[in-house]
Amino acid sequence: MYYVALFYSHFGAIRFINSLPENITEKRMMPVPRSLSASCGTCVRFEGPHDLTFTIDESHEVEQIVKETKDGYIAVFKSE
Amino acid sequence: MSLEREKIAIIIAGLIIGLIAGLLVVAGNPANMGFCIACFIRDTVGGLGLHRAGAVQYIRPEIIGLLLGSFILSLIRHEHGSRGGSSPVTRFILGFFVMIGCLMFLGCPFRMILRIAGGDWNALVGLAGFACGIGAGVFFLNRGYSLKRTYTQTKLDGFIMPAVQIIMLLLLILAPAFILFTPAGGGPGAKHAAVWISLGAGLIVGALAQYTRFCMVGGIRDFILFRETKLLLGFIALLVAAFAVNLAVGNFHPGFTGQPIAHADGLWNFLGMLLAGFGCALLGGCPMRQLILTGEGNTDSAVTFLGLAAGAAFAHNFALAASGNGPTMNGKYGVIIGLIVVLIIAVVNTYSQKKAMN
Repeated sequence: MYYVALFYSHFGAIRFINSLPENITEKRMMPVPRSLSASCGTCVRFEGPHDLTFTIDESHEVEQIVKETKDGYIAVFKSE
Repeated sequence: MSLEREKIAIIIAGLIIGLIAGLLVVAGNPANMGFCIACFIRDTVGGLGLHRAGAVQYIRPEIIGLLLGSFILSLIRHEHGSRGGSSPVTRFILGFFVMIGCLMFLGCPFRMILRIAGGDWNALVGLAGFACGIGAGVFFLNRGYSLKRTYTQTKLDGFIMPAVQIIMLLLLILAPAFILFTPAGGGPGAKHAAVWISLGAGLIVGALAQYTRFCMVGGIRDFILFRETKLLLGFIALLVAAFAVNLAVGNFHPGFTGQPIAHADGLWNFLGMLLAGFGCALLGGCPMRQLILTGEGNTDSAVTFLGLAAGAAFAHNFALAASGNGPTMNGKYGVIIGLIVVLIIAVVNTYSQKKAMN
């Protein structure tokens, strides 16, 4: 299962990708897909478990995290 | 929208924008200046009397249209939202010096492409400087540079700049005595398409740029950062379309000398766009992108827009802007000071983030 995390800054993306557990090997930074946001920032696409939950964002840099499905994106975390 | 569709959309948008830019010159805009965000903000500031360079005073409807085109489409697509609070004063200063860099080169990144499409090879030197500036910005981005995150602002904040644009349009049409116009034959400010053509062009380009996230800086930045060519393709499509129009209507004149509203001082063309590219990379987008984001309700970009405007007024009030005769001594000092200030902003906002990360 793939997820895409969006951030308020490029710095947030760097911080997030460095904080991912080492067993997550499929991870990369890339431009935010247009269908996810009008912002042209950096996102992180990574492989994670089916039941990923994400409730506390101590960095306050994560804008949202979505799960990729064949029907589109499903939000699993959204700040504000 | 898949990545392939995004690429096709941005290529089509680039072609349309290039076509419109080329045709605006046919309709009356200055040569190689169908669009120039820096020049048009400078002209608008002059129209308001904030500088007294009589040759460049005209409230440009393209700027109004760009912002309102983005505003309207973002409302329709439910993407308008009042956001800001990410180091606004720093952004103002960056906007100010991006304008100083642009007015040294005599054009924003958008006009740089249009100048290349018109055969002005001085703009290739500018492009080299611009790419190096973005490279410098990416160097700091990869080391943790950040102006900190944005926050939701009051709803009204995101509507103020679009409202200001409507007031600007009224001032242009009603032309009260305190609004200045370059007299016919008095300089670039006197060369313009009819108001409704310029406004319509701005609205279309603004909407296209909002839909595709078109950005002159983003193309090179994303290629350096991720080897992603999507935005770069839009950049190339714009160049191809504008070149085709110039060729068709006889506006392609290759060479270094005798180019319209340009000078041939390679060093300062390079350094001017180095400053613009560096500043824009730290801002996260080119001057046009700042207008588009302002239309979407981004108040940080609105502050950047005001910084660009202040830079334009300052550049013409204190003889920093270059001309066809070349750069001025004040302009050279301005660019050097700008490079130092932008470098300090980059270093400080990288170092402080690293400390926070540890």
